Amino acid sequence: MAKQDTSDCGRSGARTLAVWDPLVRLTHWSVALIVLINSFSDGEGDLHEWVGYIALGLVLLRLVWGVLGSRAARFSAFPPNPMRAAQHLLTKGDKHIHLSHNPAGALMVYNLWLTLLFISATGYMMGTMRFFGVAWVEEAHMLAYNWLLLSVILHVGGVVLDTWRTGVALVPAMVTGRKRIPEGMEAE
Amino acid sequence: MISKLLRATKIERRVLVLAAIICVQSACGLFFLGDVVADLFSDEHMETVHLIAETVAVIALLAGVAYLMIELRQLLARFDQMETGLRVARGEVVKIIDDHFEQWRLSPAERDVALLLLKGVDNESIATMRGTAKGTVRAQSAAIYNKAGVDGRAQLISLFLEELLADGLSESAA
Repeated sequence: MAKQDTSDCGRSGARTLAVWDPLVRLTHWSVALIVLINSFSDGEGDLHEWVGYIALGLVLLRLVWGVLGSRAARFSAFPPNPMRAAQHLLTKGDKHIHLSHNPAGALMVYNLWLTLLFISATGYMMGTMRFFGVAWVEEAHMLAYNWLLLSVILHVGGVVLDTWRTGVALVPAMVTGRKRIPEGMEAE
Repeated sequence: MISKLLRATKIERRVLVLAAIICVQSACGLFFLGDVVADLFSDEHMETVHLIAETVAVIALLAGVAYLMIELRQLLARFDQMETGLRVARGEVVKIIDDHFEQWRLSPAERDVALLLLKGVDNESIATMRGTAKGTVRAQSAAIYNKAGVDGRAQLISLFLEELLADGLSESAA
């Protein structure tokens, strides 16, 4: 008997759309893993240093991909706009579905990238002759790390909030690359 | 979630492998770039030939990464296009079927049965699915064939196939 599969219908009903390309997903989860590893690895050790370099490489790669990449991955799909972000957060029950990041998520993404770059830069400086043992560099590195942790918590909270508001499961979307848009919802 | 990943199609796997290679290669590129820069600024004397060779290698590696990224972008764009094409085609097929059913003035029950007939479900299964007797389904299919002016299921299906081939092929061939 023919089995009916309506999960991919292009008409008004629920539908799944390919959003995040593999490069976005790979860099996302690798960087997440690296943050976890380096939170617990010995700050003086080789592992911490090498894993940090890889994180820097991944962030730089992602930034290049923001220019060259697929539609949802490009910066133009999620320009940083604090006004729109505030509007998005303050509008009660804003159920707009954004195929790329929503305006608040976009700000978070830029924040995370800048923070990671800053942590990598200060981390690298701590290993150079010139800045070795310089107090303010170490403090900046630690402060930025704390800021990163806070950001990650807010990021996860934002994902939960958006999943709850729009009904689009965002975590599976970052794994499979596909967003399932509920019936009768318009996506932009 | 994981099973969906494993069920990925061949093209999706290709894209994923390409992305993974880009990630690893860019890390390698950064490593060697750092090495060259460190050599450039180090006080120890380095052979110029060695340094030039290293620099060229790094540039080639990074150019390769950029090229792969552009390639990946194109692959993804093609993938995207294919998906929209399929979506449009699917919607088109549904519309053609609907139009014909409308034209033949099929009753709602007959529409359901006709759709199942098109999908290749046998009479017995149709009866079970709709919770009716086999005889009812047989009568309904007879009415459908009569209204459509065909003498059986094969002809009913070929009617739609003909329609699709008629305007579908010339466009896709262009």
